[in-house]
Amino acid sequence: MKTGMVTRFLLNAVRGALGGLAIAAIATVAPNVSLAAQKDQGKVVGERYIPGIWVDPDGCEHWVMDDGLEGYMTPRVNRQGIPVCHRVNLCGVMNSDTLFATDSARLSATGRNKLIDFFKKSQAFSYIIAGHTDSRASGEYNLDLSLRRANAVARIAKKAGARITDVRGYGERMPVAPNTTAAGMQKNRRVEIMCIR
Amino acid sequence: MTFIKSGATIAALALLASFGNIADKTVDRQFGGSKPLTQLKAGIWVDPDGCDHWIIDDGAEGYLSDRLDKYGKPVCSGIAPPTMAIGDFKKGGDIPDFL
Repeated sequence: MKTGMVTRFLLNAVRGALGGLAIAAIATVAPNVSLAAQKDQGKVVGERYIPGIWVDPDGCEHWVMDDGLEGYMTPRVNRQGIPVCHRVNLCGVMNSDTLFATDSARLSATGRNKLIDFFKKSQAFSYIIAGHTDSRASGEYNLDLSLRRANAVARIAKKAGARITDVRGYGERMPVAPNTTAAGMQKNRRVEIMCIR
Repeated sequence: MTFIKSGATIAALALLASFGNIADKTVDRQFGGSKPLTQLKAGIWVDPDGCDHWIIDDGAEGYLSDRLDKYGKPVCSGIAPPTMAIGDFKKGGDIPDFL
C-alpha cells in the first residue's frame, strides 16, 4: 500500500507538472495495481472534478474547471442540446400578424417601415433571423412559410444596412405558448431577431 | 523506489503535487494567487470555419468554449476573419504571456 501511495503521489506530481503525455509514459513504468482492484470491487475509479459556472457575455453558462495548471471549459447545454442561458440576446420579436397577411410571406407596408426603423436604431454587429408559425396546416408547409417570412425580414434588414449572419425557419416546432387557444397561436406566429454584439 | 529517497526531490515534487489533486476546480489557482473562475474575461476567437468561440487567457491557463445561440447553433458572426482572436481576454492573471 505504501508503494501504491508513493506511486500515486508521483503520478499526481508529474501529471501536474507535465500533463497527459507524462502520465502515459510513467504508467508503463509503474502501473497502479490498486486501480484494477478498485474496479473489481465496483468502485468508480477516477478523480472528482467539480466544475464552476462561467456566464459568457451573451448570458449563457459554461462549465469551467481549473485543476491547478490546466484549465477546461465547455458550454452547459440541456439534454436536447439547448444552452442554459440567464438572459437571451433576443433583441426583437415581431408578431407575424403585424408584418404579413395570413399564409403570406409578403411584408405589409407598415411591417416594412417598422422593420426598417428597428434595424436603423439597433446597434448590434449582426443579426440572426428565425421565423416561427402556429400549429395550423402541415408541419412541412409551416417550415417553408416560416423560412420565407424570415427571408423577407432579412431582405429588409440588409436594405437598412444590417449584417445578417443566419436566416432560419423553425415552423411550428419551437412554440412559446400552447397552440390550444387563439391567443397562444398568435404568440407563436412570430419572427425572432437575435442580436449578435 | 530508491530514486525518490532524496529529500530535495521530495520537496520539489510536494510543491508540484500541491496543484495536482484538488477536488474543487471552481477556483483559479495560479502562482499569483487565486480567484473565482466566474470572473474570467473573454474575447472571441474565430475558428477556420468562421464560427465564434469564447477565448480566455488568465496568464496560467487558457480556456476555449463554443459561442452558441439560444437554439444551440454555433454563432458565426463574421466579427473577425477566421483564425483571428479579438477582445481584451489576456487580463486575467499576473503572469505575463510570452506566446
